[in-house]
Amino acid sequence: MYRPRPAEVAAGEDGVPRAVGGAAVEAVREDWLVEDRWWTPKPLQRRYFELALADGRNLVVFREPDDGGRWYEQRA
Amino acid sequence: MGPQRRGRIRASPDHRSPSAPSKQPAGKYVELHAHSAYSFLDGASLPAEIATTAAELGYEAFALTDHDNVCGAMEFAQACEGIGIRPISGAELTVTCDAPAALPFHLTLLVEDATGWHNLCRLLTEAHAGTRPRVDSDPLPPSVPLDSLLECNQGLICFSGCARDGAVAGNWERGEARRGESIARSLRASFGRERFRIELQRPLWRRDRARNRRLAELAERLGVATVATGNVHAHDRRRAELLDAFVAVRTHTTLEESEPERRGNSSSVLAPPEEMAARFADHPEAVAETVHMAERLRFDLRRDLGYRYPGSEDPEADGSLAEICRGRLELRYAGTRERPEAERRLQEELRVIRGLGLSGFFLLHFDLLELAREVAAEIRGPDSARRLLPPGRGRGSSVSSVVCYLTGLSHVDPVRAGLFLGRFLNDEIAEMPDIDLDFPRDIREKLIPRVHERYGRERAALVSAFACYRSRGAVRDLGKALGLPPGEIERVAGIVDMHSRGDEVERDIAEAIGAGRAASARWRCAARLAREAWGLPRHASQHPGGMVLSTRPLIDLCPVQPAAMEGRQIVQWDKDSCADAGFLKIDLLGLGMLSAVERCVESIADARGERIDLSRIPLDDPQTFEAIRAAETTGVFQIESRAQMQMLPRSRPETIDDVIVQVALVRPGPIQGGAVHPYLERRRRLREDPDYEVPYEHPSLEPILSDTLGAIVFQDQVIQVAMALAGFSAGEAEGLRRAMSRKRSEAALNAYGERFVAGAVDRGVDRTLAERVFDQVRGFSGFGFPKSHAAAFGLLAYQSTWLRVHYGPELLCALFNEQPMGFYPPDSLAHEAQRRGIEVRGVDANQSAVECTIESRPGEPAVRLGLGYVKGIAEEEARALVAERERGGGYRDLADLASRSGMGRDGLERLAWAGACRSLGVRGGKSARRDELWRLGIARGGRGTNGRDQAQLALPLGLPAPPDLRPLDSWERIVADYASTGITLGEHPIEVMRPDLEPDLAQSDELAVLPDRAEVRMAGLVVARQRPATAKGVVFMLLEDELGVANVIVPPPVYERCRLAVRTASFALVGGRLERHQEVINVVADSVERLAVPDHTAAAIRHIEPPAERETGRDGAVAERELAAVAPAAHSFGRRG
Repeated sequence: MYRPRPAEVAAGEDGVPRAVGGAAVEAVREDWLVEDRWWTPKPLQRRYFELALADGRNLVVFREPDDGGRWYEQRA
Repeated sequence: MGPQRRGRIRASPDHRSPSAPSKQPAGKYVELHAHSAYSFLDGASLPAEIATTAAELGYEAFALTDHDNVCGAMEFAQACEGIGIRPISGAELTVTCDAPAALPFHLTLLVEDATGWHNLCRLLTEAHAGTRPRVDSDPLPPSVPLDSLLECNQGLICFSGCARDGAVAGNWERGEARRGESIARSLRASFGRERFRIELQRPLWRRDRARNRRLAELAERLGVATVATGNVHAHDRRRAELLDAFVAVRTHTTLEESEPERRGNSSSVLAPPEEMAARFADHPEAVAETVHMAERLRFDLRRDLGYRYPGSEDPEADGSLAEICRGRLELRYAGTRERPEAERRLQEELRVIRGLGLSGFFLLHFDLLELAREVAAEIRGPDSARRLLPPGRGRGSSVSSVVCYLTGLSHVDPVRAGLFLGRFLNDEIAEMPDIDLDFPRDIREKLIPRVHERYGRERAALVSAFACYRSRGAVRDLGKALGLPPGEIERVAGIVDMHSRGDEVERDIAEAIGAGRAASARWRCAARLAREAWGLPRHASQHPGGMVLSTRPLIDLCPVQPAAMEGRQIVQWDKDSCADAGFLKIDLLGLGMLSAVERCVESIADARGERIDLSRIPLDDPQTFEAIRAAETTGVFQIESRAQMQMLPRSRPETIDDVIVQVALVRPGPIQGGAVHPYLERRRRLREDPDYEVPYEHPSLEPILSDTLGAIVFQDQVIQVAMALAGFSAGEAEGLRRAMSRKRSEAALNAYGERFVAGAVDRGVDRTLAERVFDQVRGFSGFGFPKSHAAAFGLLAYQSTWLRVHYGPELLCALFNEQPMGFYPPDSLAHEAQRRGIEVRGVDANQSAVECTIESRPGEPAVRLGLGYVKGIAEEEARALVAERERGGGYRDLADLASRSGMGRDGLERLAWAGACRSLGVRGGKSARRDELWRLGIARGGRGTNGRDQAQLALPLGLPAPPDLRPLDSWERIVADYASTGITLGEHPIEVMRPDLEPDLAQSDELAVLPDRAEVRMAGLVVARQRPATAKGVVFMLLEDELGVANVIVPPPVYERCRLAVRTASFALVGGRLERHQEVINVVADSVERLAVPDHTAAAIRHIEPPAERETGRDGAVAERELAAVAPAAHSFGRRG
């Protein structure tokens, strides 16, 4: 149930989400970076944003640059 | 990052409202919290790398704040010179508070003024004071109680600490919010609102924004400002991985296991100021505060340290020094023809010393030497033959000073030896003159703690030396962090050349474990990490003997911490940083050869009743010079190395002055400066034609370079050349010498080059010529001896050769007892001595002392190996065995030895295996060692089930005769010898192998009669291998067979092809071409193979074997591997530093 789902994110030039699934981003509550397992054949690099959306939802989205820049969302 | 990842995610700016990103103007952020590699395994860049990158990124000021030390502070300050960055000093201090179960936390301290620096040094000294409760284990983590910091806060600015472990943020993280706030209130009260700041960081963790908001609120409640910091740990992205790996190394885990301790991303890599400002877009006031803070942090280590050397405050010092020197001049020079010159020089030196205010400094040295004299008298005892020797000897440039000669700092008469003073003392020196003193090891060991006592632990400390990562250690540490199999790691570590550069590691890995494994993701990482780690400091240790003395408490100037050795303490700066600080440094160096000649003199007195005063031996002994010219110098000081031996038959020294040049010639400076060949060639021409005129680049150089036939051999000649040809002042020339001798001054050297050429052209010297001479000077680049140093070393080289020629057994014995030292392993020293007819006797329970000794009867003096040479026998056990023998008489038989010696079963077995029970066995001969082991099995009872000795002593009953055991064959005996003492005294291994080798191999003695360029194949034990940095990839090997040694030159293409054999074979088969140049013979290899050893004995060895092998269990390995495992390791040289 925690599995990330693909998300439709519109990001600005700076890479910061402006809207998710059509809902505008009200505020970036947190943003963080995870880089790990670089010593394995499957390194991990993720940029996370915890967002408050205009529709009242709170959620976390992330993207992996090695994954074609696709966005995913998971529960906040 | 994995190699497959190319893009870099930059930390994006903070956005509370994505539509309105706030921006800071560029250049408005100063980094006030950064770690270098001197945070030991918590920092991955050298201070200079940080400084250079920070300058490139546009920082105007930058603070280095390593964990609990300022080891890199001076290096950082110096690296900032001339690149537009203002260095700020500080440290991240670990602090404890006495609340129950409270964990230590971090605070960031920055130095505002000199008082702040003193306080920081005192705090860091206190932090380390209790870190070495046990001398034989790793130090405890340093920390200071909060109360000390609250007291010692003047001149310091305090930030509340990092996001994870900071006083406030860290305590919040741990759920101790109230404690965090109460510490912050205490700090606010002590430091005041002007000097306390709440520190905000953006490690790009999930709770960054919430934490910073909370911190900002606290700051507001406390009425103090916030400040942003980057907590930088590396200067470049490539080092971020290394930081992760270092966490695993530090916590003795793997990367997987260290996940909770790791940072989780690369945000601690140095980023441009604009990017840092953007990260804190929510807190522009914290960013602005970095700039305000930096404005206040004006303390500059390069300028404000305020060190004064000891004695500089004594108004009587000038008079006292002059008085001592005049008195001694009367004694030393009375009635000599040097007297007027000595007086003239004394006047001149005293004038310079007075002018520089250095009289107190010399008095202090005088005092120190008197202390050394006391210590020497205690150690040597009143009756020792050693009492005639001076307690130590000067080396280095101080030997050129007549004041040093008169105060006893040097034993070389500089007037008679014609030594040039300039480098040591001149009117404009910028740096304290160095005084180097060599002591026999035992005297030095006692002297160092005595100096601590005499001058006070607050005023005397040793200089630091930082152990830096080399390839082997890096592979071991980082391989373990990556969770690679220990067997593979050791295989790789085994072949990684000690001195190989980081870029060679990849190839080494492939050779050790195969290309397939080497290409695995983890091994590729290991290679990359090892390359990045190369040269980074790993931990602090003590310099061999550099001591800093100070009138003011040292702990006001540089933190002092306990060294690993009991009773010693070190300052947190290495010798370069100490020199930059202008500290008075005395090098008390332990010199193995000095100890060896002292022991030798003593055993000559014991064995032959002859008292030798080495200061009075003839300096023109024909036999000694014959030996030197024939390179019969194995074991003597300096001129025993392969390179020296190759040169001696060509340079053919005839006087002590020639030996002095010789000692200085085989150094990287003269070699790279192109001095060697012209010198040798001109000597040859002069021998053939006494009227030959030595050519000089310029007439002005003739008086300077005449001793060395126009070549630049000594370091002081560089100074003199610069003065004569380019018109440099003494101070400028000394600056040039310094620039050449230090690692961080390429730019400075270039600047001197321009001035040199310009100065020479001004004086009418042709520009091309001036450039050519400067090229020689640059090639010299510092790694050369000053003449004075060469004079001290040359004399010791001569003295030790004289001892070798006239008292061979005694010198050999002394060398055995002073190991490790010199170029050759003891096994080779023994073989060489045997070849010249010196008898070396094996270890014997009824004859051997603990150390090696001279047995003067029967016959010629012979060397007896000591019990201490038997591996695995504790010194106390050996002492007890000897003491009991002296008390109760010789051991009658094995049972007697077993019951009286107090030696455990393990020790007895080791003795038997070493052949030390020969005189106790029923039968001699080749089965003796097996017999003894068999009987010992009975004498001491069985082994307990836990593998330990049974505690009860066996009764001294007669033992039954052993069954008919198969005798040890020659090969087994050699294996046993190498496994037990590291020295085999019977047949040479190659002699034993000979019947199984190709029939037409050359033996080493045939090389002398073979024609030049003859094809040759030979086999030998690899005694030494050397890959000098100056030889452009050429490797030199020394092969020993039953008749002598042969030099092998391995050219780079052959090395590339046969690398593994060249680097790891214990026995090698070399094919190549003989090359004869004057008296020097080499084999230039075109192939090097590991020599296959016949394995017909392998099975038999396992029948009865020494304890070590039995315990580790063997897998039926072939004899070669067994021997390779125990054969004395060839000494490897080259590419140091």
